[in-house]
Amino acid sequence: MFGSKIKIDKNLLEKVRKYSEIAGYSSVEEFVEHALEKEIAKLEDADSEEEIKKRLKGLGYIS
Amino acid sequence: MITFLKNFYRAKKFGQPIVVVSGLPRSGTSMTMKMLEAGGMTLFTDNIREADEDNPKGYYEFERVKNLHKEKDRSWLGDARGKVIKIISELLMELPDAYFYKLIFMDRHLDEVIASQNKMLIRRGEPVGDDNERMKALFEKHLRVVKSWLDRQSNFDVIRLNYKEVIDNPFDHAERIRNFLGTGLDVKQMAGVVDEKLYRNRR
Repeated sequence: MFGSKIKIDKNLLEKVRKYSEIAGYSSVEEFVEHALEKEIAKLEDADSEEEIKKRLKGLGYIS
Repeated sequence: MITFLKNFYRAKKFGQPIVVVSGLPRSGTSMTMKMLEAGGMTLFTDNIREADEDNPKGYYEFERVKNLHKEKDRSWLGDARGKVIKIISELLMELPDAYFYKLIFMDRHLDEVIASQNKMLIRRGEPVGDDNERMKALFEKHLRVVKSWLDRQSNFDVIRLNYKEVIDNPFDHAERIRNFLGTGLDVKQMAGVVDEKLYRNRR
């Protein structure tokens, strides 16, 4: 899945394994990739994201 | 042949698809849910959020969806396989890769979306904000990000519908939905529930 290997703390990896299964991901790689994509997207546009979320909460579409 | 093999592989790997109706709030998602119900599909809803002035025919929501960005356990989505669930665009990226999604994405002119949302916010006693142009820019960016993300997902099959075009030609778009889902939906019934009177916020 990944083009290159990434070192990750053993304990963290165990958590990743555990929660990727709970969350319904088909592999650890998919979970990590998804988490990284989401985190990068968040960092890229944290402020505007918050503004949209606030509006959607006001409309009752997210909690 | 390639499509057949692709569909066979998907069915083997993921089981029945989850049909998702998405878009920004007030872009016609509830109307599309109603069309699918009329066409014969089973909706994944709990009817907790009741019909009101903003959505006189109901919201067709499943309450747990609203927590999708907070919940760790999303395995309940497995129960939505073979059914239709409404998930606003903001939460699409929270969907796990473990399932295959047939996504009906609703588009509507953003001026109309914002005008409709503003009325709803006022009715709910929530702050509206006074910069519609800024909100429009934020939504434009949001939609770009979501659509670009969708393009990269192999477990999503997407059709985009325009709200106004569905109102103008319900039968044609009901047929498009039926063809997209590949199921025996009743197109006449679907077109019959599209109510032009509910298209209240026009440019």
